[in-house]
Amino acid sequence: MIAEKSIIKRLGNQLFFTGPTMVLFTVAVLVPFAYGFYLTLMKMTSPVSPLEFSGIANYRSAFNDPQFWDSMWLTVKYVGATIVFVNVIGFALAYLVTSGIRSQNFFRTALFTPNLIGGLVLGYIWQFIFVQSLPMIGEKLGIEVLRLGWLGDELLAFWALVIVTIWQSAGYMMIIFIAGLISVPRDIIEASTIDGANGWQRLVKMTLPLMIPSFVVTVFLTLKNAFMVYDINFALTEGGPYNSTMMVSMHVVQKAFLEVNYGVGQAEAIILFVIVAVVTGLQVYFSKRMEVQA
Amino acid sequence: MKKTLVLILVVMLAVTLAACGGSNSKEPAKESNTTGNAANGSKEASPEQEKVEIIITNGKGEIASQWEQAAKDFMAENPNITVVAQSQAVGDTLSILDKLTASGETVTVAMLEPSGVLNKYKDFGIDLSNEKWNEETKDGFKNADGQIVGFPFAIEGFGLVYNKKVVEKAVGGTFDPFSINTRDKLKELLDKIKASGVKYPIAYQTEAWSVSNHYSTQFLNQVEDGSTIVAQLKEGKFDLAGNAVWNGYYDTMDLLASADYNKYGERPLGQYYDDAHLSVGKGESAMLFNGNWAFDSLKAVAGDSFGFIPVPVDNNPDNPLNNKIVAGPTQILVINKDATPAQQEAGKKFLNWLVYEKAGQDFLVNKSQIISAFKNNPNKVTNPLGAAIADAVAQGKTMPFSTNYVTADDWYKIIGPDVQKYIVKKQTREGLAKAIQTYYTSKK
Repeated sequence: MIAEKSIIKRLGNQLFFTGPTMVLFTVAVLVPFAYGFYLTLMKMTSPVSPLEFSGIANYRSAFNDPQFWDSMWLTVKYVGATIVFVNVIGFALAYLVTSGIRSQNFFRTALFTPNLIGGLVLGYIWQFIFVQSLPMIGEKLGIEVLRLGWLGDELLAFWALVIVTIWQSAGYMMIIFIAGLISVPRDIIEASTIDGANGWQRLVKMTLPLMIPSFVVTVFLTLKNAFMVYDINFALTEGGPYNSTMMVSMHVVQKAFLEVNYGVGQAEAIILFVIVAVVTGLQVYFSKRMEVQA
Repeated sequence: MKKTLVLILVVMLAVTLAACGGSNSKEPAKESNTTGNAANGSKEASPEQEKVEIIITNGKGEIASQWEQAAKDFMAENPNITVVAQSQAVGDTLSILDKLTASGETVTVAMLEPSGVLNKYKDFGIDLSNEKWNEETKDGFKNADGQIVGFPFAIEGFGLVYNKKVVEKAVGGTFDPFSINTRDKLKELLDKIKASGVKYPIAYQTEAWSVSNHYSTQFLNQVEDGSTIVAQLKEGKFDLAGNAVWNGYYDTMDLLASADYNKYGERPLGQYYDDAHLSVGKGESAMLFNGNWAFDSLKAVAGDSFGFIPVPVDNNPDNPLNNKIVAGPTQILVINKDATPAQQEAGKKFLNWLVYEKAGQDFLVNKSQIISAFKNNPNKVTNPLGAAIADAVAQGKTMPFSTNYVTADDWYKIIGPDVQKYIVKKQTREGLAKAIQTYYTSKK
C-alpha cells in the first residue's frame, strides 16, 4: 500500500511516525554528545572561564592517566563477572518459573521486583545489609567470612558490588528469557522427545540454540549496564576502600567535577563510549551470526 | 470497514504520541523563555518598580527547607526582590553553583566552602569590606590579598564527639571534656569506659573526608597561621616525618583505630558512618571523631547529651593543641561580581537581613541550628554539639578550622586514600608523609 505512493508521500509518512522520536533523540542525545565532543577539544578550567582551543591535549592526558586505566581494568573484571552470573542465574530462574512449578506467576513478579528499585536506594539498602545485618548474623552463627563488614576489604567490596548487581538485574533478564523460552516451538521439543532426547539434551541441543536472540539482548544489556555502572557503585562503596572499587564512570565524574578537569573528564567519557560501542557492536554482530531458524 | 477502523486507531495513536513528544520537547524551551523574560523584565522595569530577581544557592543540603523558608520570609519583607532559593542535595558531588552556572544562570549569592573561595572561585566574589556586619564579627572571610570577600554563614568545629551518659557512668560523676589534655589521659579514660562494661569505647568512622580533610590537617594548627606551613610544603621545605606534632596526631589515630578500643578495629575501613553514629547515639560506644554536624546522625534518645573532647596530640598538658577544639567558619556566602548592580544590592540586603533582622537571626540559629559568627545574635542552638562549640568559642578554647588552609577536594580525593591505607597498615607513616609532600611539591 505504502509502496504505491510517491516518494514525498512516503517520506511524509515516515516522518509522521518517526519524527517526534527523532526530534527528542536529537535534543536529548545527539546534540549533547556533539557538544561534549566539542568540549574535549577545548581547555576549560572552570564553568565560568572562557573556552580555549587545545587540540588533542585532553585526550593525551586521558591516555596518560593511570587511574583511568586502573578503573577501566576493574570495570572490565566487573563486566566479566556480571555478564556470566546475571545471565546464568537469570536463565536458571526463567527455566525454573516456566517449568510449571506451583505459584510460578508469583515468583516471576517477586524476582522481577528488585529491578524496580532505583540503583541508589538499592545501594544504600545493601550497604546496611553488608555493614550491619551480615556481620550480626556472622557474629551470632560464628560464620567467619561474614563477621566483618565486607565493604572494608578490596576483594570483598568488589564481590559485594557484583552480588548487588546480580540481585538487581537477574530478574529483569529472567523476564526476557521467559519470553524466549515460551516462544520455543512445542513441536520441536516434542519431536526431540520422541527421538529419545533426555531433558539435558533437549535444553542444550534444542532450546538454547533457539534462544540465541534472547541472549543477544540480555548480554548486550548486561554488557552496557556493567560498563556504565555508577549509581550502585556510588551508593554502596563510594569507590572505597581507598578508591579500590572505583569504576570507570565514577572516575570520569571525579575527574570532571571533583578535580574540576572538565576537558579531560569529558575526553575519558568519550574514550569509554568508544570502547563500549566497539565491544557491544562486536558482541551483537557475532552473536547474530549464531542465530538459527527453527 | 475493518481497514478504516485500523487506520483511524493508528492515526489516533500517532497523534497522541506526537502530542506527548511535542509537549515534552517544548517544556525546556518554555522555561528558558520565562527566565529570559524575567531577566529582561527586571532590567527594563528597574527604573519604575526596581523588581530584582536573585538566585541564592545553599551548599548545606540538610537545611534545604529552612533555606527556602528564609527566602520566602525575606521576600515578604522586601516585596520588590524575588529570591530563588536553590540547595545542593546531601551527598551530591556536583556543586549547585556549577550546575546553575553551566546552564547559563547567574547566581547572585553563593554559599561556598572556604577552600573554594580561595581557589576555584577566587575571582568570583565582590569586596564586602565596607559592609556594616563586619562590626559584629571577626570571622569575615578574607581572600589572599586580605580583602573581606566572604560572609561567615556558619561556624563549625570538630573533635572527639562523646556520649555524656556513657562517659559519666565510667568516670563516676561529672566529666569535664577539657580535663583530657594528654594522650595518656585519653587512653586512661578509654580503659575506664571499657571497665564500665562498654566493649568498644570508640566507633571510629573512617570516611576519607574525615580522616584526611579534618583529622590530618590538624597539625597545621601548631603555628598561628597554618598557611605558612602549606607554603613551606609547596616549596618542599617542610619535613612531615620529622615533625613531632604531625607524628603525634597519627599516634593518637593509631590509638583511636586500634582493635582494643575501636568497634571496627579488625577491619577499620568500610562504610561505617551510619553504624558508628548510631552506636554512639545509643550508648553502645562512647565516642567517635566528627564535627557538630554529626548530631542528626546520632539519632539520640531525647535527653541524652553529647560534647567534644579535644584531640590530644602528645602528653604535654600545657600544649595548647591539647586544650582546644578546632572551630571556625566553614560556609561562606559570597556575592557574584557578574551579577547586575541591582542584584548585588539585593544580595547585600539579604546578608544584612541574616545579621540584623529578627527573622534572619531566627532562621540562622533557631531554625537551621547553625552556630552564628555574629555576636549580636541572641539565639542559641539547641543541638548539644553545636552548643558545645558555641561555649568553646565563648571561652576562647578554639583554634582555627585547619581544613580551611588546604584544598578540600584534593585532600578528599588524593590524600584521603593514602590516609585510609595508613589506617589499614597498607601504607607506612613515612610513605604517608611522602605522599602528602609529593602532592604539594607536584602541585605548584
